[in-house]
Amino acid sequence: MKKFLFIALAAIALSSCADVSGALFAGGDGTYDFKNTYLDPEFQVDESKIHLLDLESGTQDTIYALYVGDFAQIATDTIIVFLHGNTPSMDSYWQTAGLFANLVNNHHYGFIMYDYRGFGWSTGRSTGAESMAADYDAVLSFLQSQGLTSERMVVVANSLGSLPAGPAAAGGSRIPVQKLVMEVPQSTANVIMQNATGLSLPASMITSYKFDLGQNMEDYTGELLWMHGTEDAVAPIETAEAAMQKHQGTYYQEAVYDGAGHGLRWDIGDEEWSKVVLDFIRH
Amino acid sequence: MLRKILLGALGTLIIATGCTPTKVVVPLEEGQWQIGVTQGRPQINEGYLPVIGAYAAKGVSATKTNYGGIQFSSLLLGAVQLEGGQIRSWIPQDGLMPGVSWGFGGQAFMSTRDYAFRFYPEAGINAYWQKGPHIVNASANTWVDPTWFLADFGRGQILAPSFSAGYRLRYKWFEAQLEYKILNPTREIHIPQAYVPNTSGLGGKGFFYGIAINF
Repeated sequence: MKKFLFIALAAIALSSCADVSGALFAGGDGTYDFKNTYLDPEFQVDESKIHLLDLESGTQDTIYALYVGDFAQIATDTIIVFLHGNTPSMDSYWQTAGLFANLVNNHHYGFIMYDYRGFGWSTGRSTGAESMAADYDAVLSFLQSQGLTSERMVVVANSLGSLPAGPAAAGGSRIPVQKLVMEVPQSTANVIMQNATGLSLPASMITSYKFDLGQNMEDYTGELLWMHGTEDAVAPIETAEAAMQKHQGTYYQEAVYDGAGHGLRWDIGDEEWSKVVLDFIRH
Repeated sequence: MLRKILLGALGTLIIATGCTPTKVVVPLEEGQWQIGVTQGRPQINEGYLPVIGAYAAKGVSATKTNYGGIQFSSLLLGAVQLEGGQIRSWIPQDGLMPGVSWGFGGQAFMSTRDYAFRFYPEAGINAYWQKGPHIVNASANTWVDPTWFLADFGRGQILAPSFSAGYRLRYKWFEAQLEYKILNPTREIHIPQAYVPNTSGLGGKGFFYGIAINF
């Protein structure tokens, strides 16, 4: 027994503070070469309406955001706040920006997306709930200063973006979220651990990042659109469904597509994707 | 590089929690000690990363060997994983008829972040052929998850089985081990944005290497 206790105590002393969330954030370089050259013809934008912003996040870091539209629009029109998925930078979502900039017609809605810390040119490193919330708040602070109000904000979260979007919708947003689109969201940190091991291990065995989108949706009172593909190998539909269906807010809509994977928009096509999102925004 | 190391460690947790390497297949002689290190070689995407565990075993009688071990891969991520158990001879080898041993034990996990604790009893059976220093084995093992109901969204499973085949060279004071394992073939193993090689879409698999000294 003494030997066992010695080994156990020694193991605790030797244990590392490494956190697997650092491995799951796929931040990398960005070029931010946002030009019409790289957009499909139907997604062309007025290049004078492309604005790259640097915003202070927390006390030490600077994050970069892309706003497409007129700044004056922020005080009067609907603004899409897009939280992108786990790619090195928001470069990968330039087509998405073009699509949103052409929803309804050219520059009907304002659109903003940003890079989390450690993604693209954003400084620092994403580490979990705190850094993700601070980055989101930096963007919301800018939008609030420009006059954005709750009833004109639509938050669209893709995959990794669902992690900061969940707590924001659950009350952690300086501009309360009333309309939320969760596209191919994850579910809980525990699920990631349990899907990786096949055991009932909690996420705290490997990370301090304890997100729980099910709880967030339970606490979110606004409108929710959940979009997912049945063949999603990155965010399994069973657990995402369980988390999203905890939503008790004012309106719930789901769009589930047989055979579609994690690249949902590419699998179902821009037309279907835009129709569903637009119907929700106008609901 | 850090990302690769952490992903490797997470991958090793698949192996480390699906099952750890078979420590002892043929019970040691009474009074004999074996101390070894194992190198899990979990496959995620196309890569492998060496993450190790260590164990000690002692023959407490001619037919029983006790063992205990620690997984350094789990420690890297902030979880203490200790294991212990006993291997017993069941049927001695008779010519080409394999010997059979069986074992039982448990795996304990504790998070150093919030001190969450899990304990998984395990049991396994080994068929082995030993000729001189050469030992070939085929093994089946299962962990039991008594807290399956704590898994989110009711997705827990009570059993986490694994199957393996291996070769070990036990020559005087030295032992080398090679083992191939199929892990958790009853459920889909999944790591976001990573490919986990599987069997018919289920479980994981990987090689283990080990070296040990006997004295």
